Amino acid sequence: MQVKKNDKPGFWEIFSFFFGISAMTIGGGYVMVPIIQRSLEKKGWMKEDEFYDLFALTQSVPGPLALNTALFTGRRLAGLQGYMAGFLGILLPPFISVLLIAFVYDSIKNHKIVAGFLNGAFAVVPGLTASLAYKMVKKRKWTLKRAISTVLAVIALILSGKWAVPVFFCLAILAFFLEGRRK
Amino acid sequence: MTSLVLTFFKIGLASFGGGWTIVGIIKADVLGQGWLLPEEFQQVVAIAQITPGPVALNAATLVGYRLYGILGAAMASLSVVMAPVIIGLLVGKLFAKFSKSSRHITEALKTGTIALITMTVWAFAPSAISSPFNLVLAILSFAMATFTNFNPLWLILGSGIAGSIFSMIFG
Repeated sequence: MQVKKNDKPGFWEIFSFFFGISAMTIGGGYVMVPIIQRSLEKKGWMKEDEFYDLFALTQSVPGPLALNTALFTGRRLAGLQGYMAGFLGILLPPFISVLLIAFVYDSIKNHKIVAGFLNGAFAVVPGLTASLAYKMVKKRKWTLKRAISTVLAVIALILSGKWAVPVFFCLAILAFFLEGRRK
Repeated sequence: MTSLVLTFFKIGLASFGGGWTIVGIIKADVLGQGWLLPEEFQQVVAIAQITPGPVALNAATLVGYRLYGILGAAMASLSVVMAPVIIGLLVGKLFAKFSKSSRHITEALKTGTIALITMTVWAFAPSAISSPFNLVLAILSFAMATFTNFNPLWLILGSGIAGSIFSMIFG
């Protein structure tokens, strides 16, 4: 007699779930997160609102979106082993594919078509990052105080060079205290 | 090797708001320490965005590989995700709940994140005006990424192909 399986997934199921999505999706977190959500729902592992509650949490900790999403949903599904499964599943495919490209890169980099392709692929970076910045700026609720502190933070970070990370945290702390003060 | 690990661990700490925000910091650090030439870093970013996975993570893997081979690639990748993984594991739930409930932290992080992404834009803006070809692609990709729901992947691949054709004709 066949026993119906428990619908909570284990390590290998979660690992292969994220491994598959990570291997098949190019374009980073903004492309991957909606795919993860739909696939989780289709598997019956997690409902949409539960997913977006978790996703809201992931945005207030550091780390790539796709990685954090895999870690948090993995843990929700299967505790620590789900967490590990999400970690390995999301990270192994990029790691392997980047290494494969790096192996062959030196022997093909002087080829005109390859060099041209990389130049072209790089040429969209200023546009794509500017678009991300534009969307973040547009989505925020602005006050005069926030506008001034953001502009100052931008200048400080650009000038900071290799001190950018400590400067970033000082700025965040300063911005925190500014927020707390009455207008 | 130690400075590779420390540098990427430090960068990972600041990776709020997704991966693209920290590419500017990675550039400042990698060029500042003389690990790669500007053209080499440009190629690293180009490869990082046409491979699956987060761009910042792929860039870290490639920089590590350039410096110390496979071991370097593994160490750099692990270092850049170390902070998120530990924070997520130990204090993730608490910290996230706490910072969600406090609007001040959320807003402070927004200020920081917007500054980070602007630093990244600033780092790459010069390449947009380096040639008419780059300028056209930069404007086109900005417009399509901002005002349409076009998948960025097709933009990247499309301009890669345009670059190949361009270099065959004029190169």
